[in-house]
Amino acid sequence: MPPLPTRSVPRTAELLATHDVQAGRRAHDLPGKLFIVEGIDGSGKSTQLDLLHKYLVSEGYLVVFSEWNSSPIVKQTTRRGKRLHLLSPMSFSLIHAADFASRVHAQILPALQAGAIVLADRYVYTAYARDAARGVNRRWLRKLYAFAPQPTLAFYFDVPLDVAIQRITNRGESTKFYEAGMDLNLSPDPWTSFRLFQGRIRREYERLVPEFGLTRIDATDALVRQQQLVRSMVAPHLEGAMKVDRNALGNALWAAGLQGRYLSQSMREEAEA
Amino acid sequence: MTARRFYGARPPGITTEPLPGRLIVLEGVDGVGRSTQIALLQEWLEHRGFAVIQTGLTRSMVAGRGIQRAKRGNTLDPITLNLLYATDFWDRLERQIVPALHAGMVALADRYIFSLIARARVRGLSGRWLRDLYDFALVPDRVIYLDIDVEQLLPRVLAGGGFDYWESGQDYLRDPNLYQNFIHYQEALLKEFRRLARANRLTTIDARGSVSQVFTRLKSELEGMLDDMAAEPLATGPALVLPSAARSQAPQRLRREQPV
Repeated sequence: MPPLPTRSVPRTAELLATHDVQAGRRAHDLPGKLFIVEGIDGSGKSTQLDLLHKYLVSEGYLVVFSEWNSSPIVKQTTRRGKRLHLLSPMSFSLIHAADFASRVHAQILPALQAGAIVLADRYVYTAYARDAARGVNRRWLRKLYAFAPQPTLAFYFDVPLDVAIQRITNRGESTKFYEAGMDLNLSPDPWTSFRLFQGRIRREYERLVPEFGLTRIDATDALVRQQQLVRSMVAPHLEGAMKVDRNALGNALWAAGLQGRYLSQSMREEAEA
Repeated sequence: MTARRFYGARPPGITTEPLPGRLIVLEGVDGVGRSTQIALLQEWLEHRGFAVIQTGLTRSMVAGRGIQRAKRGNTLDPITLNLLYATDFWDRLERQIVPALHAGMVALADRYIFSLIARARVRGLSGRWLRDLYDFALVPDRVIYLDIDVEQLLPRVLAGGGFDYWESGQDYLRDPNLYQNFIHYQEALLKEFRRLARANRLTTIDARGSVSQVFTRLKSELEGMLDDMAAEPLATGPALVLPSAARSQAPQRLRREQPV
């Protein structure tokens, strides 16, 4: 484990200042592991990451989960921008980069430094694909995200557009303005726009797979087969990853002959597990 | 009409039509007198018959309030803060500055990318990353950098309400002494500004002295550019936006985008 930083410069800034555009490469020096999933809406990536999450937790690993668009500092601004349709391709791109930067700084990087496993539902490749589909310069995007730690493994859940749309409609969901790319005026019909826009995103992902060595998973395969494949690829990287003692509370209660009736329900369940 | 250029690749969402207006930027540290000079400039320009809009940091619809909110917390890192400012800057470029230039107006910007770069540089961010990030910015017709020393700045800042948390670098300097931090931060910032001014050939104006002395220096710097603009036939601009229409649009846009 590297020595803890002692300077007052915040860590993300340090990563960027010292490693410039190669910043991501430094992730290899960090003791933690970063596994991320990518894919268009309806590819099933979140389902697979959720299964992986539960598996790793059951194996006793300390897992930190990070979701796209979830920074407590930024997400309100993004939501408001989306609700009021204020975001243009560039402001959409920049506000999502701000959200990501905040999560790297406060959540992802500290966990990796501590040696934990980090799971991210969507990562920089979502921005590369989506923003490029909106006409944002690809080279500029890669420089913008230079501060991102490089993932240990990045899974791309590849699904044909028709299958993805079928899954979304089966869930009974309607299209959202920005997810359908309605801001680009591709079509006045939301589903037509969605198809055109997600098709563009899919083509961008096709470029990213070879460029960044993303691991392609056939998302039309049986769910359990996909999960087995994901676990088998994650397994070799787990050695030395931080574990958490889930029986600590139960052991303490047992040793003292107590029932823990003042503990909350969730803590008791955990202790009994 | 001047050729419109971006520092990097042309970003999406910007018209490819001619932009016959002029973009004038005032840069410099807090307390140097930028807003006073901008207010005088606007009056002077309007008196001469130019249609003017003003824009400044955190006045965007999309991110203005978000920045104020984020700065109230204590978990804000410099990259996130910078990207929030970049969002705010882009939104104003897209919604305020470019439409005004398209309509043949003079856009006065109170701070531009140089302030954002200088602030981030002193907080340890990579200069290369910042240059790459802000290369979506439109190259202004003129950037005036108002230069000052910390000794002259001190009384102005004290008279204007004292030391601000962010303007004293309290977010990254760990010394409990606010006065020392202010000096340290402002000196580092001034060094960055001067470096940027040299590297980008900004027009440096000495901001020491009285408001009217500084304003006189400012006017003489801008005179030639405005004479050129006045001499240009309107035909270089888009036919549909006449000066009268531009004027009637402008106040409405400004009111709507003022921070609440």
